[in-house]
Amino acid sequence: MEEIILELKEKIIDALNLEDITPEELDASAPLFGDDGIGLDSIDALEIIVLLEKNYGIRLANAAEGKAIFTSIESIAKYVQENRKK
Amino acid sequence: MGFTTEENFQAVRLGKTALRHFDSADGIPFPFTASLFTKEQIDGLKEENLTRFESLAYHSIMSAITSHPEIISERTVLVLSSTKGNVGVLQDTENDKNIINLGEAARKISDKIGLSQSPIVVSNACISGVSAIILATRLIDADKTDNVIVCGVDEQSPFIISGFESLKALSESECRPFDIERLGLNLGEAAATLVLSKHPQKGCWQIIGGAIRNDGFHISSPSPKGEGAYQSLCKTIEGTSFDDIAVVNAHGTATMYNDQMESKAISRAGLSEVPANALKGYFGHTMGAAGVLETILTMHSVEDGIIFGTRNFEELGVSGKVNITSSLQQTNRSSFIKMISGFGGGNASILVSLKDKGGLETRNTQFEISHRVVLTQDSLVIDGVSAKLEFSGDKLLTALYKERIGDYPKFYKMDSLSKLGFIASEILLQAEKENDFENTPSRGIAFFNSHASLNTDIAYLETIKDKGNYFPSPSLFVYTLPNIVTGELAIRHHLLGETAFYILPNKDWNRITDIIECMFCDEQIDSVIGGWVEYINSTSFEANIFIANKTN
Repeated sequence: MEEIILELKEKIIDALNLEDITPEELDASAPLFGDDGIGLDSIDALEIIVLLEKNYGIRLANAAEGKAIFTSIESIAKYVQENRKK
Repeated sequence: MGFTTEENFQAVRLGKTALRHFDSADGIPFPFTASLFTKEQIDGLKEENLTRFESLAYHSIMSAITSHPEIISERTVLVLSSTKGNVGVLQDTENDKNIINLGEAARKISDKIGLSQSPIVVSNACISGVSAIILATRLIDADKTDNVIVCGVDEQSPFIISGFESLKALSESECRPFDIERLGLNLGEAAATLVLSKHPQKGCWQIIGGAIRNDGFHISSPSPKGEGAYQSLCKTIEGTSFDDIAVVNAHGTATMYNDQMESKAISRAGLSEVPANALKGYFGHTMGAAGVLETILTMHSVEDGIIFGTRNFEELGVSGKVNITSSLQQTNRSSFIKMISGFGGGNASILVSLKDKGGLETRNTQFEISHRVVLTQDSLVIDGVSAKLEFSGDKLLTALYKERIGDYPKFYKMDSLSKLGFIASEILLQAEKENDFENTPSRGIAFFNSHASLNTDIAYLETIKDKGNYFPSPSLFVYTLPNIVTGELAIRHHLLGETAFYILPNKDWNRITDIIECMFCDEQIDSVIGGWVEYINSTSFEANIFIANKTN
């Protein structure tokens, strides 16, 4: 799990151009969206959908389906662990 | 559905649609519904030395002006409205990038129809069509020209369809504007032409009012309250009674957010009782053509005393109070409102009427420049003073961000054109020190260049061109719309005024001055951030922008 979390942090920083942020600084349990967390937006959510398909073969039909999964990096990691196809 | 206004009008009147379902297509590995020209139709239109896109525009224009040869004069300008022009051929033209230069495309078309003036392209995402009609009205009102040919045109391609799919904005079945079961939009292609003239014949339609307003909210999601659309409507209908308004022709793309937002804006503007409709169920979303196409068809319908039904609308699925027409209605009124919204946070609307708006008064729209910033790959000049630089190219932009701004990490997410426009504008606003424009519509933004977002187009193409590694990037796709840079500035500084992006065949300062002067025809605009913002590649770019303040 720790391994997937670190890998996800790196991939998210890269895909979303979160420049000036290191994986250590990203809190895996913090909310990804909204003002009190990392502050990602709807386009970031769509980029995470692409990232999951590209790296883990996971297909999400839309952002609404991803809503529960995208609460935090931890929740994404859990979903990846259970559903990855590659 | 047809090659003339009449043919299209009759088809819509009978409830026909141009939307077809496709299981997949070359370069599009998923099922979709769209309205596309058939190969036979295109073969019949194709002009030698013009691309498919240019041929569509050319034929639409010729069919509009053939019976009015007097339109072609020295005082006539072509205003082309297009979001992506020739981008569909980008992957086949690796060595000739000029072919996808929208300004060049417009010049080819303009030359072929016999105009001597240099054309203007409005590339303001989905609002381009209405934005172009507003510009045309002002070019005449401000006495810059006598006739304007407004042609809205866009063609579809794997580039655009994959992009909207990556944004999860497409409905696989026919779109259902304002309906509770709407699932997204369908794309379409069209070319539509409207001619505006200083000396109209009796009984012509007139553009009574119009405005463009930015949400200042997000580059791809509309303000939930429909703020910009509401502000645009308010300015457009200022001082008019609703008694003569037959219909509000909405954008109605059938995405969850757009239709909801428009319903809020319509009801907030007090237009809940006026019938409202959307034509996307007949033509799909024809992007740069939409504003022109839908305006023309609504003109024709009101002339014939009817209001079109909203195809595929059954049960209201928005929370704002709106009177959506599901089937054909009669009307004896003679005006209508066309509204439209798009990426970059832009919203535009016009009030169109058969009634005379009265005598023309030429407006004084002169401005003076208070500050200017010139930023290139290896130089920065602020109000005439050169800054000492340690870096060049893209590294210069990042270094300037870190040295002079530093508090807006969203910078790193922007594409190169937006980064360039953003940095130059931040430095410009620092030179200005203080202003009172936040949360007001009083400051507009208008940028110009020749290559639109070519650099980002190429980057996006990389994400779709390899079938084995096909992962279209939603964020890159959004930035392939050049006007996004204006939206970024509107968001950063809460600027709710007009925003627009124009493509010119070359850096023509007279044209730029004319168009910025035209913005001051909107009495609410007191100041404009405007100028040239061109990003070719990491070692060749130029922003030459200024603050233009209205002179009294």
